[in-house]
Amino acid sequence: MFLLKKWSFFIIASAILLMTVSFISGCQNKYEDLDLTMYEYRDTKDLVRFVYNAALILEKDDMKSLDYFRNNRNLFKTKDYYLYIYDMNGTNIYHAGMERLEGKNLRDITDKDGKKAIQLVLKALEDKNNPHAWVHYSWWEPGKFYPVPKSSCHFKVQTPDGKELFVGGGLDYPHEEKEFIRIIVDGAVQLIEERGQKAFADIADPVSQYGYRDVSVFAFRPDGEILISPVTGDKLSPIQLLECIDEVGHKPFEKALKELESKDRVWEVFMAKNRYQRRLVKKCLYLRKTVMSGEEIYVGAITDLPQPS
Amino acid sequence: MAKKNKVIEYSVNQVPPAGHLFVSSIQHVLLMFVSLGFPVIFSSQIGGSTEFAANFIAFSMLAAGLGSIIQSVGLPFIGSGYLCPNVCGPSYFSLSLSAAWVGGLPLMRGMIIFAGLIEMALAPILGKMRKVFPTFIVGLVVAMVGVSIIKVSVASLFGVAFQGDAIRSTDIVIGMFSLMVMVLCNLWGKGFVKMYCLLIGMLFGWVLACILLPEYWHNLLAIKNIPMFALPTIGPEFKRITFDFKMIIPFTVIAIGGSLKSFGNLLAAQKISEPDLKEPNFVPIRKGLLADGFSTALAGLLGGMAVDTSSSNVGLAGATKVLSRWISVGAGVIFVILAFFPKLSTALSLMPKPVLGAALMFAGCFMICIGLQQMFSEGWDPRKTFVAGIALFFGLSTAFLPGIYARAPQFIQLFFTDPLPTTAILSVVLNQIFNFDILLKKLKNKDGNNT
Repeated sequence: MFLLKKWSFFIIASAILLMTVSFISGCQNKYEDLDLTMYEYRDTKDLVRFVYNAALILEKDDMKSLDYFRNNRNLFKTKDYYLYIYDMNGTNIYHAGMERLEGKNLRDITDKDGKKAIQLVLKALEDKNNPHAWVHYSWWEPGKFYPVPKSSCHFKVQTPDGKELFVGGGLDYPHEEKEFIRIIVDGAVQLIEERGQKAFADIADPVSQYGYRDVSVFAFRPDGEILISPVTGDKLSPIQLLECIDEVGHKPFEKALKELESKDRVWEVFMAKNRYQRRLVKKCLYLRKTVMSGEEIYVGAITDLPQPS
Repeated sequence: MAKKNKVIEYSVNQVPPAGHLFVSSIQHVLLMFVSLGFPVIFSSQIGGSTEFAANFIAFSMLAAGLGSIIQSVGLPFIGSGYLCPNVCGPSYFSLSLSAAWVGGLPLMRGMIIFAGLIEMALAPILGKMRKVFPTFIVGLVVAMVGVSIIKVSVASLFGVAFQGDAIRSTDIVIGMFSLMVMVLCNLWGKGFVKMYCLLIGMLFGWVLACILLPEYWHNLLAIKNIPMFALPTIGPEFKRITFDFKMIIPFTVIAIGGSLKSFGNLLAAQKISEPDLKEPNFVPIRKGLLADGFSTALAGLLGGMAVDTSSSNVGLAGATKVLSRWISVGAGVIFVILAFFPKLSTALSLMPKPVLGAALMFAGCFMICIGLQQMFSEGWDPRKTFVAGIALFFGLSTAFLPGIYARAPQFIQLFFTDPLPTTAILSVVLNQIFNFDILLKKLKNKDGNNT
């Protein structure tokens, strides 16, 4: 008990802190190369780490690691996500949640909305703008019978014997990350810059990578004329984006356009109603300025923001 | 008296020795840092630059520090003279954000000044409401001050930043460990250990967090690029003040809520500082509310977030029995100084959430129990049962069933906001209604005696 007297307490605590600091500084972190700063939710970060870790195992131990994955399915299946491995032709090699899919080619499988999930994954893996190859679609939980929204991340792996595979895992009922709309808007801008107006059909296609759940990419001219509508399937919807106000009288589009005079991209927060919450909820507009056939246009998308606990 | 002196380490007007004054002030400052998350979130929500965020945090710290000094230093007409520091008020957060979106920082500043003036105007009114605040309602209000921090303290103890996000078992271990260290130091420790139980718990919790989760250590490493000393600069956003008539009603409602919360905090501070008082002394309460309103207006003037009295610091004073108002002054001075040392203030604001949650829970326990003790300190009757019971049902339901109030008529939404103001307003109104027969009898007797 004598140790608990006077300043000795603080001296001991400081010494422990110092030792801890030295210990941690000396430890090597296997996730050092993995940048997770763009994600806000812990669930998302945990999933990316989970899949990345499996990719490291596969990269190191080659196809032998498949035995390890198969013999330890419970390690690669949590109540929120599970691991899967495919070859680059879309044949499932390992599935921690749905064993019966192993050996089947699912390249053309579609979700309930017609999205070809595996083909979207293969596209995402080649997209430098999408570093963790995020794909959003509907799936179902093992042993259940109703569709659930899913966001999955993937890593391409080249095994020591030269085989190319991809490893992935997806969150059921995922959180809406700002990074998700950054990926699709930046991708849409790139497509418009490459293909001009012809890109609009692909971007507006509901089964493309440019839309998921309630999120979709839209585009408009500086005078507000809609090129791809944010709310309907055609561009004729009578919506005056620049005049639109949020629940507290804020004009997010007008303000975003003002900021875009000196920047090429902007994040604008605004408030929206929610039936189940008495307080307004925060949403976010991501808007980019680009040029199509010599004409300046704006491309953007809207997503939910994390609500403080 | 000798017994009382044994229980209280430093009484309200006693000046502790320099070392104790400093360490106790630091202990309170650590708890005050919990609220600095609000200006940080605020800056990111309005898309402010890094420079704006740094200035906004510095001005908020200045306002909270100066507010704490004014509240406790013992000025003749303003300030309660109790240990009751100011922090960035969470109750103003959402509305301030709305004002900033509609009219930028100038409108937010204008509306905060307005809210501060409303609070100042309410001070003499609340100070004269001795009859509508009998002891059991005062106890109920104080208990609800503790109840109002349950949500934030539990969410922090579990390490949850956003609704629906994952919870790590390690965070729970860190939070529970910190809480146990604080509680056991308070229960089993003597003198020094008992007095600084919260500081010890926070320090040990922080060390454990760095050992178990390197993320907390990595967060700390991020401060190396922040300058040690920086003077806040007055950018263009901080040069104008505007008002909007459309925002008067919501800011008035929130100012009333803020006043009621400070009313509860000041009553609790009085209860623990002057336990021998038979009934509340409303003079220091009125002066305290005036200081609270003044500090809020000052925050608007300086360009920081609105400030509010801190429930958890009053709870900490109750837990440690270190009640000297000079500690609140010391904490205010340290807060003002830290506003110019961004590296230090950022490091302290990176304290792991579970440790902060444990500190809030520790302090909240005392607020709830002080209130309940006061509530039941006098005779109980069925009238009080229904006054307190119904007020609690509706007050707590605002936290349990927010979905119901989301669809309720506008009038109900306006007044049934949070547990504390709802319970306080309802208990006062119901107490008048349920005692109406007694009032009538008194009036009849008075008439009878006159005839």
